[in-house]
Amino acid sequence: MKLEMQNIYKSFGANNVLKGVDISLSGGEICALLGENGAGKSTLMNILGGVINSDSGTILIDGKPVEFKNPVDSLEAGIAFIHQELNLVNDLAIFENMFIGRELKNKYGFLDAKTMIKKTKEIFEKIGLELNPEQMVRDLDTSYKQFIEIARALMMNASIIIMDEPTTSLTEHEIKRVFAMMNVLKSHGVGMVFISHKLKEVVEICNKYTVLRDGNMVATGEIKDVTTDDLAKHMVGHDVRTESLQRDKEIGNEVLRLERLTDVTHFRDISLNLRQGEILGVTGLLGDGRSELFQAVFGDRPKYTGDIYIDNQQVKIDSTTKGLDLGIAYVPRNRKENGIIKDMNILENGSLVTLKRLQKRFFIDRKKQNTEFDIQKDSLKIKMEKKLDLITSLSGGNQQKIVLAKWLSSNPKILIMDNPTQGVDVGAKEEIYDIILKLAGQGVGIIVLSSEAQEIIRVCDRSLVMYHGAIVGEVSGEDMNEQKIMRLATGGK
Amino acid sequence: MEKTKVKFNFITWFKKNWTESALFSTGVALFVMVILQTVALGFEFDSFGEWFATWANNWINILRNNAGVGIVALGMAFVIISGGIDLAVGSTMVAVGAVLMMIIDNGPNALLASTGITGVPLYIIGIVVAIAMGCGLGQLTGVLVTKGKLPPFIATLGMMKILRSVTQHFMQTNSPKVPTGFLQIASLKMGNLLIMPIIYWLVIAIILYIVSKKTAFGRYVYAVGSNERTAKLSGINVGKVKRKVYALIGMLVGVTAILQVSRIGSMDYANAGSGYEMDAIAAVIVGGVSMSGGKGSVMGAVLGMLIIAVMNNLLNLLGVPPFLREAFKGMIVIGAVLLQKKEEN
Repeated sequence: MKLEMQNIYKSFGANNVLKGVDISLSGGEICALLGENGAGKSTLMNILGGVINSDSGTILIDGKPVEFKNPVDSLEAGIAFIHQELNLVNDLAIFENMFIGRELKNKYGFLDAKTMIKKTKEIFEKIGLELNPEQMVRDLDTSYKQFIEIARALMMNASIIIMDEPTTSLTEHEIKRVFAMMNVLKSHGVGMVFISHKLKEVVEICNKYTVLRDGNMVATGEIKDVTTDDLAKHMVGHDVRTESLQRDKEIGNEVLRLERLTDVTHFRDISLNLRQGEILGVTGLLGDGRSELFQAVFGDRPKYTGDIYIDNQQVKIDSTTKGLDLGIAYVPRNRKENGIIKDMNILENGSLVTLKRLQKRFFIDRKKQNTEFDIQKDSLKIKMEKKLDLITSLSGGNQQKIVLAKWLSSNPKILIMDNPTQGVDVGAKEEIYDIILKLAGQGVGIIVLSSEAQEIIRVCDRSLVMYHGAIVGEVSGEDMNEQKIMRLATGGK
Repeated sequence: MEKTKVKFNFITWFKKNWTESALFSTGVALFVMVILQTVALGFEFDSFGEWFATWANNWINILRNNAGVGIVALGMAFVIISGGIDLAVGSTMVAVGAVLMMIIDNGPNALLASTGITGVPLYIIGIVVAIAMGCGLGQLTGVLVTKGKLPPFIATLGMMKILRSVTQHFMQTNSPKVPTGFLQIASLKMGNLLIMPIIYWLVIAIILYIVSKKTAFGRYVYAVGSNERTAKLSGINVGKVKRKVYALIGMLVGVTAILQVSRIGSMDYANAGSGYEMDAIAAVIVGGVSMSGGKGSVMGAVLGMLIIAVMNNLLNLLGVPPFLREAFKGMIVIGAVLLQKKEEN
């Protein structure tokens, strides 16, 4: 089977996500679809999977134009989409998952488990998978769960399989297993689209590549003709504005030092130090463990081993309250889940951290609460109508500033910010960068966690790069560029 | 400055408040109930004075009869706003009541009275122990929920079974006698009125209203109930807040136990307080507290309790058969939650 997508356009409102993209794939090929976040990869694949419709452009299967109105159309044409969040029911057996929604029944109307198990076994044999169909899905590791989805797709006669970042949550061992499976499928003539950020893996498993940038197809060709460096360059482009924001640095004494910090599942052997007035970036791809590492430093994950020193004093941080008392501030990622309290007003959200200090004798000192809030509101330039409106009435950028405000009023020595500009528009983004620089100028030690290399380059003095829970490199000055960061983050040297 | 004169439109004003404020809709519901109840009471009296005396007396009875559950409901509001639930209140009350009666016992097998401690000092010991015991049992629930990581439903269901069973077992062979002096706590007359329980309820409601609005603890309860994760990541000791909430409801149950013992002078260990948990939860829900936590108020808990109380009285006045009355309670709870759901849109 040969699949072609030609001249695909798609926009969401004024935002042109795809601007005439072509991609083609034949049976037995594995094509890497590359690009940074927001380049349009997911949109393109969602069009192919029938999840959304394109504005214009054609999809051809074996030269014949087809139209996918919904995922069922796409599936019937032989295209299966394996999403990052796997679509399996943990509490059912493998064979039940294989036939979910299309269960086989016997003549009395009861489920025909025998036949379903038999058919599952047949498919497993075909792809060399040794699993008992009656095992519960819960007991499988993630790579095997992916195999179940693949087997299910094959049972529905899929000849093109889209795999959206299948290796991000896998261990090295599991990744090897997935690659072996992909080679088996290849030999059966199945075509695959492999979406990944990990260039090392791409070079290892794929034979074709297509790179998207800002909705344009910028490069395509045979993997054997390129190196990971070439691919990284294509992804980033040469003309990206990434100049570092200049400032007069006044770096003081060390405020934070980690020694061999380890958590069983998320990070290991992390040693680093941070000084007053320094902005340290920590970057990497999904699953690198940076968020978990700094949750541990703040006291949200007390089960760590290794040592934390603050101002050269060894400390044990076993609760977030302890973290706060030691002068650490933590602006979490995913503001809606972790940063704001939607049932509370702006003022209360902005003073949640300092409420205890604001309480005099028995009652909260409202006057002081208001004054302290106003100071932050003015210095962070937060735009709002009334302080007593609900926090959800604010824009994303202003909500983020409120989260920042609640921490700044605690006068932290160390400020940890995880994805500080998530869901924030461009203007507010620059304002937040300015705030970060200003705070560093006041002597606060700042750690910025981000998956966007541009953000790291723009605000940080130096940056650590993490890969699978370990620090794999440090970049600063000339070295701190997107190619270098991307190479380290994808596990390259 | 230009003054724009907005013509007051009752319907839009009403609609706006009805959808925006849970307290407003609860208040309106209560108002309607009171009118119905007043009509049901009838106007066939010789004079206005006589009518008013009957009306007021009816009200005092309503309030007094519901003061016990009303106090528990105040605590339940805190528990549910914090995202929890407490099923053990009735059993806790029985356990505390039993211990209280053993302490103030002046019968032949008295513990303390036989050592010469009698009268007011004895009552004070009883009261302090009752409240401390309620607080301690609540704290224990809190520890089970926060350190033991048990869902509150399970932890309090277990406590509910344990406390009533143990109390019933030990009280088989004990029959303490409550001294008449102790009964004054509930039945001391103010002027000519039997209103002490109402005053306790009112005072506790005012204190808790202030706690919920003006103290860090009060605000933390809302924060934890609305978004536990954000609360934790804001440096709030979430476990401590929850333990305090369960200790608080325990203390309030202790107060209710004191009231109950002093009103009746005895306790039916098998049945006393059974259904308190559901009555308190119903009151709080009717009063606009959200089962998912983070939303509601102490005022709502009072209004919700009043709605249920007035409705009971109304059904009584209308002569609705007793077995059917619980059905109305059920309907009003379901109706209230249906209204809450609508407000969320």
